[in-house]
Amino acid sequence: MKINRAFRPSILISLSLGAALAQTPTSRIVSAANKFLATLDDTQRQKAMFRFDDEEQRKRWSNLPVSIVPRAGLSIGELNPSQRSAAMALVASALSPRGFEKVQQIMAADETLKNTQGSGQPGGRGRGGPPQGAGPAGPPPGRGPDAARGGRGGGPPNGRGGGGLMFGSDLYYISLLGTPSEKNIWMLQFGGHHLALNITIEGERGILTPTLTGAQPALYTANGKIVRPLAGESDKAIALLSALDENQRKQAILSFRLADLVLGPGQDGKTIQPEGLKASSMTEKQRSMLLDIVSEWAGIVHESAAVARMAQLKAEIDETWFAWSGPTTVVSGNNIAAYYRIQGPHLVIEYAPQQMGGDPSLHVHTMYRDPTNDYGRKPATK
Amino acid sequence: MKRILAAAAIVLCVCIPASAHRLDEYLQGTLISVEKDWMRAQIDLTPGVSVFPVLIADIDTNGDGAISETERHAYAGRVLRDLSISIDGHRLTPRLVSLAFPAVEEMKEGRGEIRIELDAALPRGGPDRKLVFEDRHQSRIAAYQVNCLVPQDPDIRIASQHRNYSQSFYELSYVQTGAQSAVPDFAGFTDSAMPLGALALLLSVRLALLWGGRGRAKR
Repeated sequence: MKINRAFRPSILISLSLGAALAQTPTSRIVSAANKFLATLDDTQRQKAMFRFDDEEQRKRWSNLPVSIVPRAGLSIGELNPSQRSAAMALVASALSPRGFEKVQQIMAADETLKNTQGSGQPGGRGRGGPPQGAGPAGPPPGRGPDAARGGRGGGPPNGRGGGGLMFGSDLYYISLLGTPSEKNIWMLQFGGHHLALNITIEGERGILTPTLTGAQPALYTANGKIVRPLAGESDKAIALLSALDENQRKQAILSFRLADLVLGPGQDGKTIQPEGLKASSMTEKQRSMLLDIVSEWAGIVHESAAVARMAQLKAEIDETWFAWSGPTTVVSGNNIAAYYRIQGPHLVIEYAPQQMGGDPSLHVHTMYRDPTNDYGRKPATK
Repeated sequence: MKRILAAAAIVLCVCIPASAHRLDEYLQGTLISVEKDWMRAQIDLTPGVSVFPVLIADIDTNGDGAISETERHAYAGRVLRDLSISIDGHRLTPRLVSLAFPAVEEMKEGRGEIRIELDAALPRGGPDRKLVFEDRHQSRIAAYQVNCLVPQDPDIRIASQHRNYSQSFYELSYVQTGAQSAVPDFAGFTDSAMPLGALALLLSVRLALLWGGRGRAKR
């Protein structure tokens, strides 16, 4: 077929526009979501999909293991290898490479916990890593869909027996609220023990709040290498604290103990009175360091959404506070054992080591919120 | 009492391995909000696994393994009695607004969260107000966390927050513009403010009588 010369440029423009549109982050995520859904049978699809306005499912996340707080959706453990690949490809499509790596390392930490709790050993350095590197270990092949019981909100897949605590990378759940769309609002949830990604997608907007990350052990070895899933969150924060002068430290360091997250699960949309050192009293370099800490959470989501979010948080940096509670030193290569909070007009970040019988630096919960826009409830500005 | 001591002995005997859930503490997270005429608080109480025996002995008073409605309310009453809340030096009487209890099994696993919501009417005061919240509930095993929500009312601005190390003591200073300090509400006043108010009232009456007497003398 011969194409009229006059039409060639417009066809080329259309083709390149189409290609560009096909490459937008949202279209990539939608495409990955549809590919994942296409791998599922009807029963599985029904389990994975929820109405967008399902408030119960939206709030069904926690730092706790799934045997304590049951999640709904499809667990990785009840998927066959190709379904599992499609599920993880969907999660990866919504995240930055570093964000996805962090998610894999959190899951691998839980795999380490599974392997060490059975033997009664605490997880941690030198106690062995996940079976297959820092990535999530695959479940045994052939785990059937009957592995998950109880329907929505039911218990985790069986096979671990006993009703005791269950850990491992099989026990992370994926669910979709609403229909994947490039225009209409919908949501991707992925989480389990120490992980709750709540990603709301509306057009090109990608909102990651509220999101919980954590790790136990927060330091382990895999393939001979030390892995710290929350290394940036820890190292950058102690670097900022060390960069403060005496007067600034007096303001930043709180004189009381903080045992846990203040605005953890179940505290959506709440704004507490900020405390500590206001960034308007910091030097330009210190403010830049503060933003760099924030990027550890804001940068989990895919790049274009992260860029938009960081621009918002940078514009509000003078109204952002930094507060610290606990030890002010750390052995190099280890995580801090201190709590810290970063709070701005549209931001709450909490880093909370857990004193639960072990070394608190090895068991960390963190929270990332925009109390004004949890789950992307705030309408998009035109 | 014997049951509580026995439970405490169990706690002391529990060896503490690294765990996925709260162990040897009773987390008590309080979020306070202040309005012009009210203070409200939400208290989330999460017992750790190894302190659960202490808690259940305190809550399940008849020891039947279940927590009845009566036992729930009795426990909430004890929590409220262990609080001391005051505004500008005047003690407040908190009122239970709502109460939510998890299943016993959930608490046993270290994930059960008791939620108590309370409020207290605030007597009128000046523009600079000071609210003190003290919590002594299960202080031996408690991990207190007390915070204030940013006020919804634009006329109220938080000035400062002070706590002791354990956060059992929390002091909130705030500024309330448009405060009606000119018309004292004696009903809300207690202790030292009451004699002062009564004295002011008596003086007003005395002055009014004197003024009336002068008027009659002129006529």
